[in-house]
Amino acid sequence: MSKPRVVIVGGGLAGLSCTMKLCELGVDVDLISLVPVKRSHSVCAQGGINSCNDQTRQIGDTEWKHFDDTVYGGDFLNHQPPVKEMADWAPKVIDLMDRLGVTFNRTQEGFLDRRRFGGTLYKRTAFAGATTGQQLLYGLDEQVRRWESQGKVTKYEHWDFLGPILDENRVCRGAIAQNLRTMEIRSFPADVVVVGSGGPGLVYGRSTMSVMCTGSAASRCFQAGAKYGNGEFIQVHPTAIPGADKLRLMSESARGEGGRVWVPRKPQDSRDPKSIPEDERYYFLESRYPEYGNLVPRDIATREIFDICVNEGLSVEADRLCVYLDLTHIPKPELDRKLGGILDIYQKFQGVDPRDVPMKIFPAVHYSMGGLWTDYERTQAGGLRVASPRNHQTNIENLYAIGECDYHYHGANRLGANSLLSCIFTGLFVAPGIQQKLSGMTKLSSEYATVHKAAQDEHQNRHDSLLKRDGGNENPYLLHQELGQVMTRSATVVRRNDQLAEAYETICDLHERSKNCSLSDTGNWTNQNVVFTKGVMDMFPLAKTIVKGALQRDECRGAHYKPDFQFPPLQATTDQERHREAELWCDRFEENNKKWLKSTIAEFDGEHPQITYEDVDVSIEPPRPRLYGLVGAEVIEQVWNDRRAKRSADVAENQAAAT
Amino acid sequence: MTQEMSFFERHEFMIRRLHSLSGLIPVGAFMVVHLMANASINNGTESYQKIVYQIHSLGPAVLVVEWLFIFLPIIFHALLGFVFIFQGRSNVSKYPYQANYRYVAQRVTGMIAFFFILWHVLQMNGVIHADWFRETIADPIGLAQFRPYNAASTAAKALQNPIVSGLYAIGILACVFHFANGLWTMGITWGVWVSPKAQKMASHICLGVGAIIAVIGLSALVGFYKVDIDKAEARELEMYEQGIKSGTILADPHKLIDSQRADQENH
Amino acid sequence: MIKDAYDQTISSFTVRIERQDGPGSPSYWETFDVTYESDMNVISVLQRIAAMSETATGEKTTPVAWSCGCLEEVCGSCTMVINGKVRQSCSALVDNLLDGTDQELVLQPMSKFPVVRDLVVDRQRIFRSLQRVEAWVPVDTYYDMGPGPKVSRAQQEINYPLSECMSCGCCMEACPQYTKVEVVRADGESDADYDKRVNEAYDTQFIGPQAISQAMLFNSHPTGAQIAEERLELLSGPGGVQVCGNAQNCVTVCPKEIPLTTSIARAGRAVTVHKFKKWFGKS
Repeated sequence: MSKPRVVIVGGGLAGLSCTMKLCELGVDVDLISLVPVKRSHSVCAQGGINSCNDQTRQIGDTEWKHFDDTVYGGDFLNHQPPVKEMADWAPKVIDLMDRLGVTFNRTQEGFLDRRRFGGTLYKRTAFAGATTGQQLLYGLDEQVRRWESQGKVTKYEHWDFLGPILDENRVCRGAIAQNLRTMEIRSFPADVVVVGSGGPGLVYGRSTMSVMCTGSAASRCFQAGAKYGNGEFIQVHPTAIPGADKLRLMSESARGEGGRVWVPRKPQDSRDPKSIPEDERYYFLESRYPEYGNLVPRDIATREIFDICVNEGLSVEADRLCVYLDLTHIPKPELDRKLGGILDIYQKFQGVDPRDVPMKIFPAVHYSMGGLWTDYERTQAGGLRVASPRNHQTNIENLYAIGECDYHYHGANRLGANSLLSCIFTGLFVAPGIQQKLSGMTKLSSEYATVHKAAQDEHQNRHDSLLKRDGGNENPYLLHQELGQVMTRSATVVRRNDQLAEAYETICDLHERSKNCSLSDTGNWTNQNVVFTKGVMDMFPLAKTIVKGALQRDECRGAHYKPDFQFPPLQATTDQERHREAELWCDRFEENNKKWLKSTIAEFDGEHPQITYEDVDVSIEPPRPRLYGLVGAEVIEQVWNDRRAKRSADVAENQAAAT
Repeated sequence: MTQEMSFFERHEFMIRRLHSLSGLIPVGAFMVVHLMANASINNGTESYQKIVYQIHSLGPAVLVVEWLFIFLPIIFHALLGFVFIFQGRSNVSKYPYQANYRYVAQRVTGMIAFFFILWHVLQMNGVIHADWFRETIADPIGLAQFRPYNAASTAAKALQNPIVSGLYAIGILACVFHFANGLWTMGITWGVWVSPKAQKMASHICLGVGAIIAVIGLSALVGFYKVDIDKAEARELEMYEQGIKSGTILADPHKLIDSQRADQENH
Repeated sequence: MIKDAYDQTISSFTVRIERQDGPGSPSYWETFDVTYESDMNVISVLQRIAAMSETATGEKTTPVAWSCGCLEEVCGSCTMVINGKVRQSCSALVDNLLDGTDQELVLQPMSKFPVVRDLVVDRQRIFRSLQRVEAWVPVDTYYDMGPGPKVSRAQQEINYPLSECMSCGCCMEACPQYTKVEVVRADGESDADYDKRVNEAYDTQFIGPQAISQAMLFNSHPTGAQIAEERLELLSGPGGVQVCGNAQNCVTVCPKEIPLTTSIARAGRAVTVHKFKKWFGKS
């Protein structure tokens, strides 16, 4: 009997950590990646990676608190056992990366330096300069190269995953992929296929994601029958530099150090911004939030910038949405000292010195909390059972999903510096489960030659007919632009049902039109045109899932913000009235959770996503309101805590009565 | 690696390092000594002749020293140098950076130096010291013009033609640049100067060393140009005869110019 | 020089691209007219060209193939030769490139790597060289064994810049000592046989500045140093650090400003010491 094999799709943090761990466990791996794995999108992560650590522990931090911050930040939409397991593993993950030689910043004494990130009170975040993702990825890349030199891993770089191979029982028996140079389509027999292909940023046209983040691998699994969870939860970063080719992150510290956000009062005023007099500038954050000014929280900044451009039409430029982030009033030496690095990035990519000219910025799609639905096996203690083959398996047997392209860990919104953690953690954690899975197999994929052959032929035919097709006049590049525009307009920061419904129609229309794409290159050598076209066509199922999920979810939760369903702040002036309002607020909150504290589960019927809802496992920490910045938050919190105390007292009483 | 590697590939490191080393020791070191010895001409015929006597006090062993420590190392350094030159592809037109210019200059001066030295050795030394060679080949075409016991006069005579001295000036400058710049790259190759700061400082020092050696080298050219050949020949003969008498030099009329050689052989 | 973004008068510009249909085919030039927009970089120019697929003379053509990834100058994908110099195309701004006298962009594939198609080259040799010098930390296991060895802040500050290397290939493209190796696939040769032959061809050729620098990075990590001698042996093998000709272009063109020549000198020193120890040291 031949040895079992695993195919891993994607060579980012998740794919590489899974690869190296499987190799250590003695499993041979075929690693398929669109790009050389060292160039995966994980390199773009700047900030850091979170864990409870020796220092924070001594001021009261625990793995539990890390877990709690994560589910609170995710507005309790995260299944809690995986999050708990991840938080418990976090210190071990960082220790391992440290041992692999990652050049984390150090303290004077030589320990790992830590910084504080959003959504927590503790300095949990280990970092390596401003390129933590790059450093972590390289650490893993090096280990995989080590295994490659021993023949345990075979890399298939510049290969495009076309889909899982399913047998007649819809069990995964391998993967189909295409060589991006020779255009050869080949089946890869595998007993387990692990997809770690990252996020679908390109569905939004331009985002902070790399050009290969099309979501096509996840979409192909989705179209093959895998469920997709929480698709509508897309994180948007408030300040990005809107380039013609992509949106690049601009650190929030620019606002922190005194940057002022404004637009000209006259729409698309074409004057040099520095010549626009003060009274013709609209400092909309300062005027709308006199208390916080430019330092309003992330989500509010995002919404307001979006609103001023989209709804008020005050974007600085006509054909590109953006506002000014102005630092020119701050003395240059001070800017150099505090923000030198990030200002250089702006200058490098925009060719303009932000010390002299106000920066142009706009929010940008940044991360997908949603992704392929995956299973897990819970322990009594509330974590995950180590080495359970169920962990991270999709609803298709033998097909696993890890990293950004699975839907766990981040709920409705992701905490900064948790993504690197979730990617490496899932890669490492899933490996022993896969090994278990393999050891329990009686019939290996090598015995499914006819299935492989059939799948290969099917994909070859699809490819050939795409090349041969003529008559259609649709340009895939322009279709992609249109898709990006409609997605960005309707399904990012502020969501309205009328816009979403309209967007869904438009996407369906674009999807139809995409079937008439004409190719400008019909050759069979490094044909980027056909690869791009396939990628675009696979964006529509995900785009529909995102929009439909958003349309149906009538509430505000995490990154999903619908002003029509927002809970109002407390308005009463007397304490008693306020208290009563808070009670009502809490009633409404509980009512809403009953209806909407559920994972969105999409299944694709070939044309449309069919959406159902699934309960979220909140058995470890009961949901509580997220009240950042809400007027009357203290009162609501008070009421909520009273309720909770009463409830636990009741439970205790009942238990006492029962015994 | 499973395929068969050539001798060069297997020993590339050793060969490259020996190449690097040979540029300093013995070739570079010899060049410096040689140029300094030549510069003594500026002190007069006697000073220069004395130094040459010293060298030739080794007698027949001079030949061994010449080949072992001068000719063979130069040939080794030069031939490998040519191989290395053709392994690289200069791109200074695309990347006009200072160090890149020096990379090219190192190779150009190396080639100039090679042809200059070849010519210089044939013109002065002649390599083959047999009478038949001298009579039938060297003398008719102007090779082997240097006579150790008429050092100043023969050298001066050979350098009287301004074109020849001009070419010598170019040759010497090429050799000196090649040496000074080679010293700097050698320091990197062997890891003597590592940081950019150290490399910068080293490049200044090498520049200084090069400039000094260049001045010394060129001063010799000027010195030879100013020699009064007749006077020098007379003085050299005196010195020869005194030396023989006092036993401080070995009698070898072959190391004299032909006119004096005949006289001496008749004694 | 930064051009004033508010003083832009041109409406379109010319892009000349050196194209090649595949390995072994002859290269040829095509010219495209691209409408000027503000804040364009070479990537967005290529995106426009891909979308229109039409030359300046109005003839239909295939889209130009090129590589790109993060577009933030951290992935190393989009290296090409732009107006004669190697660099990342994502950070190549049209406004700066058109600063010269003629309003033309010239794009060429890297010359030291085999062309796959148009501006796409095969840089497998870069990754192979990392394998050659065993650029990794040889840990025992990936099980939890506690934190790694302590590293001083000073050491981290030396290592961090080296570990920013994204294997883009600029240093190799600009290096006069680094020459192209292209192995032509024989008829009917299997992937495995071909790869083996390619790797053998790469393994005797110069490893280039990045691999030398990475070897130094791992030699200065406490655990990485466990196989330091092995790495030095490899660094002094065929195509090792000795091939460096000290033209120092690598350090000038490196987009991450990695002190490559310092690494090379460190490698030179380490190899010298290593060899002396080996020849004259303890048995």
